Amino acid sequence: MGSLEQSKIRRTIMPFLAIFQADLEALLKSRITYGWLIAGVFLQVIRVLSNSRITPTSVIIPLGLNDFIIIWSMLIIGTTASTVSSETGELADSIMSKSVKRQDYIFAKFASRIVYVAIMYLAITLVLVIASLRLAENDYDIYGLVAAILFVLIALIMLTSLGVSLSTFISNSVIAIVTLLILWYSMTAFFPLLDMELLSPSNLIAKMPDLIQGDWTGDSWITAVIFGYISVVFTFLTASYFTTKDL
Amino acid sequence: MTSIIETTNLTKIFGHKLIAVNNLSLEVEEGSVYGFLGPNGAGKTTTIRLVLGLIRPTAGEVTVFGERMLPSSSELRRRIGYLPTNPKLPPKMTPIMYLDFVGKLFAQNKDQRTSRLSKLIRSVDLLPSASREIKGFSTGMVTRLGLAAALMNDPDLLILDEPTSGLDPTGRKSTLDLIEELDNKTIFVSSHILSDIERICTHVGVVNEGKLIYSGPIKEMKKQIQRNRIRLELDGNLDDFCEKLKSINYVMDVERRGDFTIDITFDSQISTIIGLKQVIELLSETEIELISINSSTSRIEDAFLALLEEEESRGFLRAVED
Repeated sequence: MGSLEQSKIRRTIMPFLAIFQADLEALLKSRITYGWLIAGVFLQVIRVLSNSRITPTSVIIPLGLNDFIIIWSMLIIGTTASTVSSETGELADSIMSKSVKRQDYIFAKFASRIVYVAIMYLAITLVLVIASLRLAENDYDIYGLVAAILFVLIALIMLTSLGVSLSTFISNSVIAIVTLLILWYSMTAFFPLLDMELLSPSNLIAKMPDLIQGDWTGDSWITAVIFGYISVVFTFLTASYFTTKDL
Repeated sequence: MTSIIETTNLTKIFGHKLIAVNNLSLEVEEGSVYGFLGPNGAGKTTTIRLVLGLIRPTAGEVTVFGERMLPSSSELRRRIGYLPTNPKLPPKMTPIMYLDFVGKLFAQNKDQRTSRLSKLIRSVDLLPSASREIKGFSTGMVTRLGLAAALMNDPDLLILDEPTSGLDPTGRKSTLDLIEELDNKTIFVSSHILSDIERICTHVGVVNEGKLIYSGPIKEMKKQIQRNRIRLELDGNLDDFCEKLKSINYVMDVERRGDFTIDITFDSQISTIIGLKQVIELLSETEIELISINSSTSRIEDAFLALLEEEESRGFLRAVED
């Protein structure tokens, strides 16, 4: 590959990678991360220890995953719904005044937040799964278990995408956070009551024991696909808006 | 002469409420140090953000290096360095980390970044603090690091927004010294500190309430409002002296400014030298000691204020003339 081509590739991806890396490092080194890890692991261990004698794997694991839907989602909302709005002054002055494309910045932000949430989720879930497999009665199917973990991950990716999107559209971080809290908990608590289970993260959790045991009914897949679709649509809508927004 | 920055009828209205920039047309020539002068809220920073493509104009356009500046003009910004007012830098980064990050934003390879940041950290006198976190830095240190970041890509155009804001006299001097040392660059400096502009700039644009009221060489600006006026700083009994001054034919006005300073305005029909000669002769007959003589036309503050007054006095004519 010629040096010109290498230079072109470097110009294309380096700004994206630089912003992605800087943001992810800052998140991973933050106090919130340490607190979340410690509390998350502690809760999962306590849950497994207190339930393992009477509850099989297919029930304990969904209980642990439900923590992310109900409890840790608040942390995710707090760290994502202020992604762009909290940086408005810094953003324009220190980053966008350089030779950085708008798309590079916003996609890097989406990527860093999604990777961050995924790392935290998988790290805590790993502890949950290992503890459950060792201590509880095993009634899982490996493919069902992996699918269950991935489906909740997709739900959290959707939450993260919505957070970054709202922080781009709404300049006030507090309003963005409150809006996302209302949206997420409405989806979780109220949508099942309105016969909109397919859009509800809590519906995923409810179907999980069967899925972990290897019973592959259609609903979970449909919900995961819808969540994935929402993530992609909002990411691209947000990128499109951000390319012309005044900073 | 090539224009590096050119704005044509540039206008920015925020939310149908605030006209921040009002039909502003200016040109910045290559190689010049252009001072953008105006009171707080005049539209200086908004103009800069329009020039950088960070915000879109409501009307008019901006061209930089001969090309239209848009939010998508990342390649144009590759040739621009920008120092904002009171730069907000990542607190947990060190200067080395931050400049390396800025180098990556410009897609510089590792060798380029390392070589450049080493030179710049030394140039802005931050070598002893190169490994310290930015959160412990003083305002002056943050400004110097911001300037280093603005120079990381060796820009052809350097835009500085209030570079001496919040600095003590030592910090201001060292920042201005750094700017003066830069050569082969076109520099656009915005400030409300007139003495800074006078010190480093070759050209000046004066903006008030979003409107450009003067643009051109600093010397021309002072000449335009020449008023045959001098300022004397004296030590002694000035009351009698002022009365005697008023009796000189060519003296139109004598104004006391405090205990030691007098402003004398001469008849515009005569040369300042003739009037001055008369004043010196009068002074030699008294026991008053002359500390300094200053021509008011050399004072940029007077030129600036005179321009603002003249602009406001034009009233409705501002709408019909251009």
